Amino acid sequence: MKNNLEKTAKMKSKPGLIRNVIIIAVVLIVLLLLPQFASDYIIYVAVLAMIYAVLAGSYDLTTGYTGPLTFCHGAFYGIGAYASALLTLKAGFPFWVAFPVSGIIVFLFAAVVGYPGLKLKGHYFAVTTFFFGHFIYLIILNSVKLTNGPMGLRGIKPPESILGIDFSSLQASYYLILFFGLLAVVFLFFLVRSGIGKLLVSIRENEELSEAIGVNTSFYKVLAFSTGAGIAGLMGSLFAHFFRLLHPSTFTWMTSEMVVIMALVGGLGTLFGPIIGAGIITLILELMRFAPEYRFIIWSAALIVVLVIEPKGLMGIVGRIRGGKR
Amino acid sequence: MVFQQIVNGIIIGSTYSLVALGLNIIWSITDIPDFSQGGIYVIAGYASYFAVTLARFPFFFAVLVAMFVGGAIAFLIERFLYRRWRGSGRIQLLCAIALFFLLSNAAILFWTAKAKIFPAYLKGSISVLGSIVSYQRLVVLFVAAGLFILVYLFIMKTKIGKAIRAASQDREVAEVVGINIDTVNSVVFFMGGALSGTAAALISPLYAVIPSMGDLPLLKSLVVVILGGFGSVAGVLIGGLGLGLIESLGAVYISSGYQHGFTFIVLIMVLLFFPKGLFGKA
Repeated sequence: MKNNLEKTAKMKSKPGLIRNVIIIAVVLIVLLLLPQFASDYIIYVAVLAMIYAVLAGSYDLTTGYTGPLTFCHGAFYGIGAYASALLTLKAGFPFWVAFPVSGIIVFLFAAVVGYPGLKLKGHYFAVTTFFFGHFIYLIILNSVKLTNGPMGLRGIKPPESILGIDFSSLQASYYLILFFGLLAVVFLFFLVRSGIGKLLVSIRENEELSEAIGVNTSFYKVLAFSTGAGIAGLMGSLFAHFFRLLHPSTFTWMTSEMVVIMALVGGLGTLFGPIIGAGIITLILELMRFAPEYRFIIWSAALIVVLVIEPKGLMGIVGRIRGGKR
Repeated sequence: MVFQQIVNGIIIGSTYSLVALGLNIIWSITDIPDFSQGGIYVIAGYASYFAVTLARFPFFFAVLVAMFVGGAIAFLIERFLYRRWRGSGRIQLLCAIALFFLLSNAAILFWTAKAKIFPAYLKGSISVLGSIVSYQRLVVLFVAAGLFILVYLFIMKTKIGKAIRAASQDREVAEVVGINIDTVNSVVFFMGGALSGTAAALISPLYAVIPSMGDLPLLKSLVVVILGGFGSVAGVLIGGLGLGLIESLGAVYISSGYQHGFTFIVLIMVLLFFPKGLFGKA
């Protein structure tokens, strides 16, 4: 009886596995070949989509897997971008040093905010992160001497050539971001499936119980929060050196909200849901570029509609359709 | 100079207190940090502006219009959205934030991002201890004080006020003893929206009506709620005035660029050292 059950379970999972492999392979091939035939504009959009996909995926680590709702992922992205740009511009470091350092800076920053913050119960932490995001924006905007404030930071250099690859061309930078983006996704994938990932889910499901069985919940919460933030910081660094121009308006609370919406539309706690959600939303936003004043409205309205129809997001809808067929 | 800043701080702080009063009651009863009040504030601000400029209402009626518009929007939001997800606070919070952006961006869409100048309804000023205070600012102070007393009396003396207090202490027990939670929620949300709307109408003539006018009052009043603690009307008043003072004095003596950053620092300090708020009961 038990054997039968296991067999049917395996049979059911196999076509799913093959299908997933095919989907991933097709997406990878499209992403790899994209610069060969697409226009510059499409490459820019694809880069933004990849960056947002990783942001949403790393956001999912805290809010989706561990539980606490946060609203400052855009701020970590911004800190990473400005840290990396300033390290190369003012301190003269090469990109290859500034890139990891900016990730570490953001990791530590998040730990400093998260350590006291994550002890708060209920919605307090969510509200605090909302402020934190706005506070970072204000600092970037007002520290004119350092960040050039509302005038924007110009003249950021592309990554130096390494192993004979020159990154000054658009296509080369695209592959660089694709490489690190995939690396981040693979890292997140194995992280959420590791023992740590299971501990995080146990905290989400029942914090008191996991504490009772000896899990250091506050440590793991801060770890998840900081790791997600660090990855956002790395993406910020890539963003800075790809677009070579930074402006505070890129890192307002709308950016954080965008990440939240992407993760939510995709489905929190599924990792690939937020990544796909981010890709789709970035593309929709770009398609709506002709009517910028409608963008945020449609977006917020879309979020409310998603909440009304299916709070579990796209993954929930997919699951429901599949469940209905069987 | 110092006195001028103190007066400004008290006046701006009194509008934070108004928004925070509604937020506090909503938060303590429904457990929703109602970000949508930021959007309601914007729409109500525009409502009062159009009441004065298009409909040629006197300012007093414009305040009533804003009050009603704010209350009605908040009532509808609670009735048709938040009520669906009672018990799942996370979805309510996400919905509240989405509504905040939806409403303030709707204002950009309908009325453009350009600032609209609210015509002055009361000219002139008085001089108190060497600093000049315009009548319009005094009106803000008096109306805010009057509303505070009204809300206090409403909560303390009326039957529905009693139900609100009961629900804020223990929702389930309140339901058991026969209090209709739906009615309490509707009343509370209407009241919260009306208070935000009034604050918007009062502050609009001092600055301007713009789609982003709700951002800072929202953030500040959320801080005031946390500062003051749940279910404490006095806490809201002291928190709001205190925050207004810290800001306006900090802007002069430390740096005006980081004026709003002080709010964040105060918030972090309070959360670290007084996690239940300065006057929290729960």
